[in-house]
Amino acid sequence: MIEFNDVSKIYPNGVIALEHINLKIDDGEFVFVVGASGAGKSTLMRLLLREEKVTGGTLRVGDYDLGTMPNYKIPYYRRQLGMVFQDFRLFEKKTIYENVAFAMRVIGEPSSVIKRRVPTILSIVGLVDKYKSFPTELSGGEQQRVALARALANNPRIIIADEPTANIDPKLKMEIMNLLVKINTKGKTVIVVTHEKNIVDQFQKRVVTIQEGHLVDDRVGGMFHEDV
Amino acid sequence: MKMYSIPYFFGQTFKGLWRNKLMALASVIVLFSCLVLMGSFVLLLYNVNVNIDSVVQLNEIVVIVDYKATDEEVQEISDSISKLGNIAEVTFISKEEGLESERSRYEEYSYLFNELTEDNPLPDVFTIRYKDNSEVPNLIYQLKQIPGVSKVNNRIDIANDIENIKNGISFVFIWFLAILFVVSIFVIINTIKLGVEMRNKEISAMRYIGATNFFITTPFVIEGAVIGLIASILAFIAERYLYEFVYSAIHENYSIITVIPFSQVSLVLGIAFLCVGVLAGVVGCRISLRRYMKI
Ligand SMILES: Nc1ncnc2c1ncn2[C@@H]1O[C@H](COP(=O)(O)OP(=O)(O)OP(=O)(O)O)[C@@H](O)[C@H]1O
Ligand SMILES: [Mg+2]
Repeated sequence: MIEFNDVSKIYPNGVIALEHINLKIDDGEFVFVVGASGAGKSTLMRLLLREEKVTGGTLRVGDYDLGTMPNYKIPYYRRQLGMVFQDFRLFEKKTIYENVAFAMRVIGEPSSVIKRRVPTILSIVGLVDKYKSFPTELSGGEQQRVALARALANNPRIIIADEPTANIDPKLKMEIMNLLVKINTKGKTVIVVTHEKNIVDQFQKRVVTIQEGHLVDDRVGGMFHEDV
Repeated sequence: MKMYSIPYFFGQTFKGLWRNKLMALASVIVLFSCLVLMGSFVLLLYNVNVNIDSVVQLNEIVVIVDYKATDEEVQEISDSISKLGNIAEVTFISKEEGLESERSRYEEYSYLFNELTEDNPLPDVFTIRYKDNSEVPNLIYQLKQIPGVSKVNNRIDIANDIENIKNGISFVFIWFLAILFVVSIFVIINTIKLGVEMRNKEISAMRYIGATNFFITTPFVIEGAVIGLIASILAFIAERYLYEFVYSAIHENYSIITVIPFSQVSLVLGIAFLCVGVLAGVVGCRISLRRYMKI
């Protein structure tokens, strides 16, 4: 469960990126976050990642209160999140297999577990036969699937995707979205930030609209908010 | 820490050193030079000290008795001396004992001393060890007042000079060392900084997947330690050859100078090199990580 309670975020330079945000996301939900450029969507995700700290209100994720959580706990907290970015952020010098394996290595999984799990995860995203390739040898869509595989590696409870389809060929966008939905049906909470109206409209999921730092609309089965 | 991480850490360390080999080499060379200079200075100072101490008994006053003094007069002088303060020990060396000790010192020429036994030119002598340095001028004045004392020799001036020189050298030396140490740390900071910057994207991606600071920084810390380790081992070997070379040169040409054999200092020197080297590596690395990684 994710709970924003009257959250605001003011950056050190004085920009008020978010104000009075109240938002509750239950386990296993699928949520689109939409809004114009500069509305504060990425800031919302950065708060969830605890890359930035709330400057007002409280933000709880599961048992963690992100406002008071000490720094040394951050890595452990992040292990229950899987992050996907628009620019993929893969390890370029590692193969696809190693990219996924490394995520497990980082949290200290033994090699026996890694060897067993990596093929399973690569098969979920449909990339088993590319396991020896390097990220630069793959298309954008494939790279994003690797990023998704890596995000899934440690069996997180929440997947956060900040514009996951922004750098992907239009024909392949649906593939990524379908994967995210598939992951969601397996019980994981999925939060997707996006600009793309047709995607939002097609899936008929919960849509949260941010406008100039305020949450202006939140409805299930919603469409892309035409006014923003 | 999980055990399975250990091979990863060392693998990363050597990859990092290899990727960054020029800077790593520069760090090793600078740290190496720094250690060899430090070691040479310390050994030099140590040997100088040992030699000074063996050549002169510095805290000693020699009271020379008038050549014509009778045994009674000598006894009176002895009584007067023992009444003075600030005296730790008085030794009386008679003319005859003095001659004997000279004779045994120059054994090869002992026949020369045979004639002297008849007509001993040496005076009776009291050697005095004092307690307090600062009271020495007063003591000398009092000794000179004793009737029958012809001369009072002391080495307080030399002792002070030597002390001053030693302090001066140590002072310059310590500053020099401090500068060298700072320079080595600076070079290591830059080496690690370069490594961190090269891997910046990788590091931020690692953070998102929940890597702890420990996991991220350990390869760099080991990198610093390995640089220190290599530099200290090389420095030890170089110091050894340098020392043996100087040792044999001095031994052949100036046999009066005592030189401590390397084996006597090698253990301490080795440990000191290792500690300073690895410390410089790790400290440099820590500073670098603190600055460039916000840990
Ligand atoms: N690190 C930062 N320091 C200061 N201001 C920032 C920072 N990051 C974002 N901002 C500002 O906060 C506001 C919200 O930015 P944010 O990145 O959250 O927008 P966004 O909704 O993700 O936009 P986009 O759709 O273009 O990605 C913007 O005005 C932005 O300039
Ligand atoms: Mg954004």
